[in-house]
Amino acid sequence: MATSRLILLALLTATAFADDWPHFRGPTRNGVSAEKGWKSEWPGDVPVAWKAEVGLGFSSVVVAKGRAATVGHADGKDTVFCFDAATGKELWKHSYPAELGDKFYEGGTTGTPTFEGERLYWLSRWGDLFCFDAASGKVVWEKNIAKETGATIATWGFTGAPLVSGDLLVLNVGDAGTAVEKATGKLVWKSAAKDSGYSTPLPLGDLALFGNTENYLAVNAKTGAEAWRFRWLTQYGVNAADPIVSGDRVFISSGYGKGGALLKLGGAAPEQVWKTKKLRTQLNAAVLHDGHLYGVDGDTTEKAPLKCLDFATGDEKWSEPGFGSGGVIIADGKLIALSGVGELTIAPAAPAGFKPTTRTQVFGPKAWTAPVLANGLLYCRNNRGELVVLDLRARKL
Amino acid sequence: MNRRHFIRTATLAGAAPFIRAAEPRKLRTALIGSGWWGKNILKEAMTSGRCAVVALADVDVNIAEIAGEQVNDISGETPKLYRDYRELLAKEKPDIVIIATPDHWHALNTIDALKAGAHVFVEKPTGHTVNESRAMLKAARESGRVVQVGLHRRIGPHHVSGMKFLKSGAVGEVGMVRLFAHSAGGGPEKPTPNEPAPDSMDWNSWCGPAPLRPFSKKLHPGGWRNTLDFANGTLGDWGVHWLDQVLWWSGEQYPKRVFCTGGRPVLGAPVLNDKEQTSDAPDHQVATYEFEKFTCVWEHRRFGGNDSEKHKIGSYYYGTKGVLHIGWRDGWTFYPSTKGGKMEHADAQLVEPDGHNIALLWADFLAAIDQRRAPVASIELAHRSSVLPLLGMISWRTGRSLAWDAASETIVGDAEASALLARPYRGPWVYPAV
Repeated sequence: MATSRLILLALLTATAFADDWPHFRGPTRNGVSAEKGWKSEWPGDVPVAWKAEVGLGFSSVVVAKGRAATVGHADGKDTVFCFDAATGKELWKHSYPAELGDKFYEGGTTGTPTFEGERLYWLSRWGDLFCFDAASGKVVWEKNIAKETGATIATWGFTGAPLVSGDLLVLNVGDAGTAVEKATGKLVWKSAAKDSGYSTPLPLGDLALFGNTENYLAVNAKTGAEAWRFRWLTQYGVNAADPIVSGDRVFISSGYGKGGALLKLGGAAPEQVWKTKKLRTQLNAAVLHDGHLYGVDGDTTEKAPLKCLDFATGDEKWSEPGFGSGGVIIADGKLIALSGVGELTIAPAAPAGFKPTTRTQVFGPKAWTAPVLANGLLYCRNNRGELVVLDLRARKL
Repeated sequence: MNRRHFIRTATLAGAAPFIRAAEPRKLRTALIGSGWWGKNILKEAMTSGRCAVVALADVDVNIAEIAGEQVNDISGETPKLYRDYRELLAKEKPDIVIIATPDHWHALNTIDALKAGAHVFVEKPTGHTVNESRAMLKAARESGRVVQVGLHRRIGPHHVSGMKFLKSGAVGEVGMVRLFAHSAGGGPEKPTPNEPAPDSMDWNSWCGPAPLRPFSKKLHPGGWRNTLDFANGTLGDWGVHWLDQVLWWSGEQYPKRVFCTGGRPVLGAPVLNDKEQTSDAPDHQVATYEFEKFTCVWEHRRFGGNDSEKHKIGSYYYGTKGVLHIGWRDGWTFYPSTKGGKMEHADAQLVEPDGHNIALLWADFLAAIDQRRAPVASIELAHRSSVLPLLGMISWRTGRSLAWDAASETIVGDAEASALLARPYRGPWVYPAV
């Protein structure tokens, strides 16, 4: 039977499938990894592959070609770290002077670098933009994009990761983005010199989608020409969670009591399908799996619940109280959730309920950074800069 | 039917529809200054179930819009939004006005709201300068309206029980009080760039009667507390709460002398030029208030706050039987100094995440309106409590101690210091008459 043979083939292909996580929110930029065959349960102690101290901040980890990179702050400097992804051996690091920026929190780095090819790109809170040779750490080019464009720096700085789009780097800098040549850093287009939002530009065809202080908007990645903007006014201009795209639908959401909305694209401007107060993602975006959204509803000042909502209708399926401002990813149909106080839970991603099969305390608070799964290793980082890499490989390679 | 029966029947018959119609009319409530704290107060107004939110004002139309959406989420109401509070007062004729603007706007907002016939809930401290506060008090008296000031520690449960404990004599004779607020922090302060204000914001009106200075994210949101054109630093912001407690406890009207010293050795000299600016409030201050029966010391540091001291915020009442600490999230604790004395403690009961008791203060405000009585943090009391940090700031500016005449509310024999009881307003705004 052709069908069962196809299923068998799919199963074989799926077994122990491993993947890099080269940029923010993973290979498909939605918090979902195709990786299968990793251990979701283990007897006894947490299987730690390696640990490192990377400094203050919430920058996520990116993994490509055997390298893992992240950023942290200490003693008036930000440091970009590049490790051997499997062993934790420090391959290189690069420091530059930076402000702590401790406005209403303890400060430190907030954005995430981006791997592409043999390059690592990094945009700091204060507009320092770097292109590194990923192997050596040599600075290929660097500049301060805020100074160059005149863009003002929002209260918590630039936090969106650079998006590689063809020959360009698209940045959430200015009112409606900025782009430079990825090879040279040369400015290609820019927008009004205002505060930016905090989300990472998300590619959708020729467009890049992101939040600014008053809207979610889409611009042509090559030219910067604006396709549409959807007014989305959030306290302090904090539109931080990346949009979530499925077909012609886009889900957007912000915290500070704002809520979420499902938009339908296709017309001149997006059309609102539904709106909810039940999923207010202040920091990390939710993750879409099998028609359901999984994400944190509420702010860092609350012990926000982890929730599941029906993507089509916005109906709430379940709410797990006390999760806090952590983050979730999904791999092989399982939620990998790191709570705001650093507890890791693994549970089937299902609308029927949150039923963890594994619970492990990885480290202490604050854990506002979503975990990252790459090649069987799970990278967890807290604000104090403890980077703990769990070995979830079924067997040692 | 005898006459008595007739009267009873008639009364009941007449009363029934009246009772149905007399579900108390909701009080038309408006908010001036629609940011973080203003919305905290407004939420309590809405929770009380007796207030209809009719209008919100903010010089930033986006902030008003966000607040309006949040009101709509909670109650389904759609308050009208205003950029100019005077237009709000004229068009909406509110019964209650909540004022949660920066300090430099409190006086004009309050006086105009009272003139428009509203009861007022205004944030602490009352005025930015002493004579503004006096003018607010005068306007309140003339209006006959209720003015509650946001000194929620006057009604917070652990403050009430701590005060009861203190007044019971359990602490003995109290000869000295120390008030303090310490936080951790580093220096020096790096200047923040000046930049255009957001398009949605009328920056000229935000500055209002204060000097117009360039917009910077250092000032807004929130940072104005440490810029002296708009507020009075930690002494004005935090000190007023704890100094108010001292007046509450002691029953004294005013101190006789005030001396304050402090500076910015950690944060460094203030910067204000066409490119950038820093805050300019002191990073630490020590103020001594000499009362008739005791001495009160205020201390704050915006650096070096850690667990080397048992409590970081609050008040120590030093008595012959022991020391009472009344704090914030740590409630109150009595440390006995007599043999066999028992340590006592009460936990705080606060509304989180911001740790306040606005709900109780709001309930008291409504009760005061109903009963035509003075509220618990009335402007009569809060005026004097607000004058204390303001006098501390004048002593700090002039670098010498001040003799205060309580009866005339004037500084004795010091023309330079007396001049700082008021300040010039930027036109067209006019300093309110005392």
